[in-house]
Amino acid sequence: MLATLLSSTLVGLDGRIIRVEVDVAPGLPGFTIVGLADAALQEARERVRGAIRNAGFSHPPRRITVNLAPADLRKAGASLDLAIAIGILLGSEQVTAAPGRIALIGELSLGGEVASVPGILPMTAALARRGIRRLVVARDAVAEAQLVDGIEVVGVGTLREAADAVRRRSRRSTRPLPPRIELASGGPAPDPTGVPAAPAVAVDGIAPDLVEVRGQLEARRALEIALAGSHGLLLVGPPGSGKTLLARTIPTLLPPLGDADALAATVVASAAGEGPISALRREAPVRSPHHTLSYAAMVGGGPRMSPGEVTLADHGVLFLDELPEFGRDVLEALRQPLEDGHVSIARVGRATRFPARVLLVAAMNPCPCGWAGDPSDRCRCPQPVVDRYAGRVSGPLRDRIDLWVSMGRLPPEALIAGREPEASSVVAERVRRARAAQVERQGVLNGRLSGRRLRAICRLDGAAGRQAIALAELEGLTARGTERLLRVSRTIADLEGSPAVRGEHLDEAARFRSFAARLASREAS
Amino acid sequence: MTVAPPPAAPPAATPTEAEAWALLLAVEDLGPAAHGALLRAYGSALAVLEAARRPGASARFAGIRSEEGTGRAIGPIVAGRIVRSLGLIDEELEVLRSSAVRIVTVADPAYPARLRAIELPPPVLFVRGSLDGLAAEHVVAVVGTRRPTDRGRAMATQIAAMITAAGGTVVSGLALGIDGASHAAAVHQSGPTVAVLGSGHAELVPRAHDRLAEGIIAAGGAVVSELWPRQPPAKWSFPRRNRLISGLSDATVVVEAGENSGALITARNALEQGRGLFLVPGRIGDPVSAGCLRWLHAYPGEARIVIGLAELVEDLGLVERASVRSRRTRRLPEPASLEAVLLELGPTARRVGTALAAGHGTLDELVATTGFEPATVLGAITLLELRGLVHSTFGRYRPAGALAAAPPARS
Repeated sequence: MLATLLSSTLVGLDGRIIRVEVDVAPGLPGFTIVGLADAALQEARERVRGAIRNAGFSHPPRRITVNLAPADLRKAGASLDLAIAIGILLGSEQVTAAPGRIALIGELSLGGEVASVPGILPMTAALARRGIRRLVVARDAVAEAQLVDGIEVVGVGTLREAADAVRRRSRRSTRPLPPRIELASGGPAPDPTGVPAAPAVAVDGIAPDLVEVRGQLEARRALEIALAGSHGLLLVGPPGSGKTLLARTIPTLLPPLGDADALAATVVASAAGEGPISALRREAPVRSPHHTLSYAAMVGGGPRMSPGEVTLADHGVLFLDELPEFGRDVLEALRQPLEDGHVSIARVGRATRFPARVLLVAAMNPCPCGWAGDPSDRCRCPQPVVDRYAGRVSGPLRDRIDLWVSMGRLPPEALIAGREPEASSVVAERVRRARAAQVERQGVLNGRLSGRRLRAICRLDGAAGRQAIALAELEGLTARGTERLLRVSRTIADLEGSPAVRGEHLDEAARFRSFAARLASREAS
Repeated sequence: MTVAPPPAAPPAATPTEAEAWALLLAVEDLGPAAHGALLRAYGSALAVLEAARRPGASARFAGIRSEEGTGRAIGPIVAGRIVRSLGLIDEELEVLRSSAVRIVTVADPAYPARLRAIELPPPVLFVRGSLDGLAAEHVVAVVGTRRPTDRGRAMATQIAAMITAAGGTVVSGLALGIDGASHAAAVHQSGPTVAVLGSGHAELVPRAHDRLAEGIIAAGGAVVSELWPRQPPAKWSFPRRNRLISGLSDATVVVEAGENSGALITARNALEQGRGLFLVPGRIGDPVSAGCLRWLHAYPGEARIVIGLAELVEDLGLVERASVRSRRTRRLPEPASLEAVLLELGPTARRVGTALAAGHGTLDELVATTGFEPATVLGAITLLELRGLVHSTFGRYRPAGALAAAPPARS
């Protein structure tokens, strides 16, 4: 007898609906899965067999054929286990289904327990969009699935409970509601054989408060400007100068995400399998991948088209410690996301596009040994080597970094004396206000402005205009240098709540110009 | 004049002859040659303005032959502009009279004699301050790159100080770098120095040198431009200004110039105008000296090399007056005091500069010393940097240039 059920699988950041057809027919006992299933799915046969037996049902000694439609879509992962097992129970008439379309998503253990899978949120949204009104998922995935309106979610712990849920009528007649969640659909189909998405390497634990960062006023100010206007930031300093500590305070300084951005961030977190999700992620993500990560881990891809670090940091901050140690191709790959706010991955026969609106914060040593400029004179690098080290930051990246700042090691007395540092909450409030002012004025943050639009928004009056020319000469009068100066000074003015960009804003912005340009301008006359 | 003004028009302010000269120059693209042709044809600038009021004026202007009689002196477009500009005379006069700018025409006895000798001298100079310095026996231009090395800056300071001490007048372009250092050295000795702008007076660039310009005027020198006061700086205006720098001077000294430096345009003008040219050499392969070296190589007979201050003094003919001083003090002019170095800055930058001169290094320390907000201190550092008074490396700020040489503040 034939049983047909619905389930879903994850492709990139999108849920795809899969029709699971199970035919239990007389013949030699056997179990075949057809329809471009990957290795994890082929192994579903063993999990399903064990789960059915250990849940107290019988695995029918007949010829079982499972077809996964659409046939041309490569299916990956274990999200279809539950649907296949229930299909067999229906097909062998051990269970009778109540009328109405029902979908099931879950992985089975040999003991018959149902476990959650990554991507519940986008998969549920896809089902709801298709008009499915009832969904069975693992119990710990219920909260995440319920983020989507218009679909009844039933949580189950075991295969037996799932069978009960299928048998039962819907407890309440859910009126069809438009799904609350609209997910942009990605490119065409992906590949099977999924490795689970990389585990989170978010800046771990509880983020330290800015009040714990003593001194380093210049770097603190640069960080504030960077977050307020979404400007790329590069911190340069010897080991122990506090670059990483400063970067770790970022989560305490960013304003919570708005509805649409929070939803996008939650979908990414869900697809990346970042544990059970019970509410929209309001906090902006901060990712700090290690410098040994691969190209695919940065941009995404792999057999299942999993999102990479740039996508996991969408709407948040991507922190790259020890910038020159990252692979050249890895850094090169950041060009597109930093420019366009998304990343396109093309493989033979398919392509997909992930969102990647990230703010880049990077840190590096001033020279190969790390001690150039330190008063201890520990640095043994020859001057040309030191000069060249800043040049290791590759061109496209250099152009997207608006703020360059040096940090020295603090003398011990500064750690004890010095003025009391500002707390995160104070700075966060300034950042929030400056961001709100930018969004109200131009719809985007200043860091995303360039060309004509930038010039229109950062119109300078006479005196400020002349100052801009004088300062641009310091940068070597390049178009990029001038734009950088304008963008940053606009943000400084926004932090102050000033509608106009004035000379002193430009003066301050000029402090954070690129060392690379400074080196170049020393050579040109 | 027999022709009555048009009855409907309000009583027009009557320009003086000098103002009439200047008003003609406010016409876009009307250069010295066309200006000269008009004056020859009508006798006076006022007569030209008068003629422009009569019908058919633009055709008559376009008919004026050039001095050699080979072609038209004034194109039809410019001729039309002259006539149209009449409507704006009142407004333009207002601009002219409200600015503290004096007009010196080439017909005026106060017009610098050296400049009158060049080919196509500017018909009109807009002047703030006193041109007396240009009557000195020795007038020397000191020019160079906007981004000099510390050595180059010190060299410019020494040369300008020496010229001033010998009673000469330093001419330069008020730009950042070598130009600014040269003017500042003269001002520091309260000597007259003349800055030639590449823009109109109202559009003075760089803004960082606003106070230096005031200092020049206060010290008895002048800021000069051949351009209409509201003319903004443009690509063409700086090369054009450079011919005045060399033209006002007996000789031009180039201290550090890169391969494409504008200072080399001044050098070329100096040779073309038959004036002296001295080039300070530098190390081979050093980009800031590439231009000087190339010229020394390319014009061996005309471009002269500077091998020392004493020799330059002799070559410039300053020797009689300078000998008393130079034999003893030619090594280094006395460094400017801290107050003098910071004189031209605002109070904020002055306080930050004073703190820096005392050796304070990082932003944290400067904030602690001055009590200013970090943002304020950062801005002030930029202003100091624009003047070459501070160097930043790896988050530490060090006094540089005159600030490093200055003896500590007397307080």
